[in-house]
Amino acid sequence: MTAFATADDRSLLDLLLVAAERALDDADRDPADVDSVHVGNMAAEAFNRRSGLANALVGGLGMTGVTARRVENTSASGASAFQSAVAAVASGRSERALAVGGEKMSAADTATATEIISRITHDREYEQGVTLPSFGGLAAAAYLRETDADRRDLARVAVKNHANAYANECAQFNKRIDVGDVLASPSVASPLRLYDCCPTSDGAAAVVVEAGAAATDDPVTVAACESATGTHAVADRTDPLEIESVRVAGERAYDAAGFGADAIDLACIHDAFTILEWLEMEELGLAPEGRAWERTRDGLTDLDGELPVNPGGGLKARGHPLGATGISQVIELVWQLRGDLPDERAVDGASRGLAVNVAGFGNNAVCTLLEGDA
Amino acid sequence: MTELLECRDCGHRTFYEKHRCPECGGAEFDGVAAGTGELLSVTTVHVTPDGVREPNALGLAAFPGGANVVAQLDETLSIGDGVRLVGDRELRATDDGPLRGVRLAAVE
Repeated sequence: MTAFATADDRSLLDLLLVAAERALDDADRDPADVDSVHVGNMAAEAFNRRSGLANALVGGLGMTGVTARRVENTSASGASAFQSAVAAVASGRSERALAVGGEKMSAADTATATEIISRITHDREYEQGVTLPSFGGLAAAAYLRETDADRRDLARVAVKNHANAYANECAQFNKRIDVGDVLASPSVASPLRLYDCCPTSDGAAAVVVEAGAAATDDPVTVAACESATGTHAVADRTDPLEIESVRVAGERAYDAAGFGADAIDLACIHDAFTILEWLEMEELGLAPEGRAWERTRDGLTDLDGELPVNPGGGLKARGHPLGATGISQVIELVWQLRGDLPDERAVDGASRGLAVNVAGFGNNAVCTLLEGDA
Repeated sequence: MTELLECRDCGHRTFYEKHRCPECGGAEFDGVAAGTGELLSVTTVHVTPDGVREPNALGLAAFPGGANVVAQLDETLSIGDGVRLVGDRELRATDDGPLRGVRLAAVE
């Protein structure tokens, strides 16, 4: 993957090419070894005036005769591209697949980016001026009212994720923050403040998926990659703290893998807003309903805790280049499961990891389970 | 005015128009009055897209029949308040003219 950044001078296509080359290097494969390419991207036309990404990418890699397509699933485009690659290999249609995801959001100013992203909503939501942080604010206000969690606990999610990103060379922010910093940051959608929200980012990420005996001597196995849609209009869910798509994708993934939440050693959760880390942990059975905040307060989700969550910094601090995020989560799990990382940011003895990448505020979710050798 | 859609087959209600009822697959809906709802959550949004008021106070309200609505608040309201849908309000400006719709207001 590329290091995620607030603004990267390279074009979106160049970012995708760099990420693809790095993945091929890591897998010790050439472009000619790959027979399908799955590109995750949400809105290159709107952000970058670029269309036809998949064909441009394979052209750049000197590939012809392969199957290539772009996969769009808003902020979960990356995980959906990965799911497409896994399905291609699992079905036998592809021997070796390359999944590449990327977004270059810096080309748009904040108002334009907010508008592009808010266009994913239902027309009745859009006309109200609803943005993604608006849903985060509504969920956070309801959660803080219904549980004993307080505003400082929510801030601790961001503090942890910034601490985890501190030593991550690929993270957008290598800056520690404290609870006071979060509480002093500007209000975005009350009770959420700026430091509760992921940034806009530029970046790309890529992985190689193949069947059978792998090229590397330390492969990581895809135990499951499952997805589910929820409602399109967020308010069509009767419980504002429910994200059905995440729950169903998780259940399907656990079923497919043959192990459950108890077996997970670390998790990459789609923390576009701090509140989402709690809601998704609860939907995935990684914390009891209404209790995820206690795990955060007690340090159980810290890097050295019982279940480290977002060891790479999450969307909050690694960054969130929409189409790249789902694949960057998979890469973080691979690095952790292979034991590739320096001690200061490694999770000890992890053998099973979970990633969940969420489209919109739960329109669609993709849950991936990976297993290492350890 | 009629503000919610009720499935002609099963009675499921929604604010969000769709071709098919998610409960029963029915394809015909009737407009019905929303009645009195309860505010489940509120947020004040300080970063809004062009053409949208800033700050934008929003609420999530539950109405009888299982229909929830996210809409702009027409006045200052708190969680637990009884609310109704009021219209027709100018909600956001666009190049093609204003988008109009309903807001949440206190029960009279």
